[in-house]
Amino acid sequence: MDIREIETIIEAMLFAAGGPVSLEKISDILELDKKTCRSIADNMIVKFQESGRGITIREIGKGYQMCSKAECFDYVRKLFSIRQKQGLSQAAFETLAIIAYNQPVTRAKIEALRGVNSDSALSKLIDCSLVIEGGRMEAPGRPVLYKTTENFLRSFGYKTLSDLPSIEMFAARIDNGDKVG
Amino acid sequence: MDSVLSNACKLKLQNFEGPFDLLFHLIEKNKINIYDIPINEITGQYMDYLFAMREMDMEIASEFLVMASTLLHIKSRMLLPERKPEETDGEDPREQLIIRLLEYKKYKEFSRELKDRQEKWKKLFYKAAEFGEIEWDEVKFDLSSYNLSNIYAAILQRNELKTNKNTGKMSQIVQREKITIKSKIKEILNLLLKKSMLKFSEVFSLKRQSKTEVVTGFLAVLELAKAKKVSLEQRRHFSDIEIKALKK
Repeated sequence: MDIREIETIIEAMLFAAGGPVSLEKISDILELDKKTCRSIADNMIVKFQESGRGITIREIGKGYQMCSKAECFDYVRKLFSIRQKQGLSQAAFETLAIIAYNQPVTRAKIEALRGVNSDSALSKLIDCSLVIEGGRMEAPGRPVLYKTTENFLRSFGYKTLSDLPSIEMFAARIDNGDKVG
Repeated sequence: MDSVLSNACKLKLQNFEGPFDLLFHLIEKNKINIYDIPINEITGQYMDYLFAMREMDMEIASEFLVMASTLLHIKSRMLLPERKPEETDGEDPREQLIIRLLEYKKYKEFSRELKDRQEKWKKLFYKAAEFGEIEWDEVKFDLSSYNLSNIYAAILQRNELKTNKNTGKMSQIVQREKITIKSKIKEILNLLLKKSMLKFSEVFSLKRQSKTEVVTGFLAVLELAKAKKVSLEQRRHFSDIEIKALKK
C-alpha cells in the first residue's frame, strides 16, 4: 500500500465512524505501526486544512475525528433549526478551569480554590459531559474525584490535556488591574 | 472617599460568583496592586456591596459573610500596634488572603480563555459516532424467476419431510394413566372384604405395577390408617406391611 491508498482508507474510516477513531484502531486495521499511521494522519490534517475542503480532521485525545470547518459555520448552521441553549455560567467556566488543571480533583478542593460552593456548576458540567467522575480519593470519606472528558478537549480545541498552557502564564496576566498578557 | 451610599449606587449590582470574584472586581476597578491591598479601602467597599445587596433583598451567600469577617479581622490586625518581633511570625496579615486571591486569579483568567475558545470551537460540526456493530449479510441472493421457483420447490419438499405421513391414520392420543388415591382406597377395601389381612406386597409391587401406582397405593394405605379403617404393622425396617381391617 502506498501512502495515497492509506490516506484514502483513513479518510473513509473517519467518515464512516463519525466519532473519534483511535490511532490504535487505525494501526490495527491497516496493520501498520502506530508511528507511521500517526505521521500519515497528521499530514492529512494539514492537507485537509489547506485544501478547499469543507471538512477537516481534528486530533482529539488519542484519536482522530472529522468535522466541518469553522469557516463554513454561518452557512452550515442554517441547515438546522436553532434551539436556544443556556451557555455555561461564569461559575461553570471557573469550575471547569480548576478541574482542567487539578484533575482528578475533589469537590472540596474546587470549593477551596473558588471560595464558594460549586455544586450547581459541577452538575452543569457533568450534564454537558465536559466533566465526569473519575474514581475516589483514598482519603477519609473516599471523596469523588472529577476529571475532564474527551468532549472537553473537543469543545475547547485541545488535542490533549498536555496542550493546556502552563497555569502560571495566567498568574502574570494582570497586575495593577492592567492587562499585560 | 465618596460616601457609603454613593459608592453603593455606583456599584453595578451584578451577580458575583463568590467573594473572590467580588474582591477581584474591586481590585480591578480600583487598579489596586494585588500584593499591596489597601485593606481599609477594600473592606469598606466590600461591606458597601454587601449592604447594597441586603437593601435590594438579594440573598447573600454565607461565603460572602465569611470573607467579610476575614477582611475585618485582617483590618483589625493591621490597626493594632505591631507586637514585639519574637511574638509575631513576621507575617503580613494579608498574606494568606493574597495567596488565595492569586491562586483564584489564575483560574479566573483561564476561565475567560475557555470562554473565548468555546466561542471559536463551537462552530465545528461533528457526526454522531456510529455504533460498534454493523449488520452484514454474507449470503448473496440471486432472485431470478428460475431461482425463485427452485427455492419454492425446495421449501415444499422440506415441509413434506417434516410432516409425519401417519398423521391421518392416528385415531387416539396416548394419555397418561390416571391413578387416584380414591380408586386405590376402593381397591384395598374391596380386597379386605374377602381377606381379613393383606400384605402390601401382595397388592402392590413394582414387578407388576408402575411406580406411580405403587406410590399411590402406599398413600391410599396411609389414608386408610389415618381414617382408622385399617391397622398397619411392620415387624422390621423394610419388611412387608401387614394391613388388617378394623371393625367398627
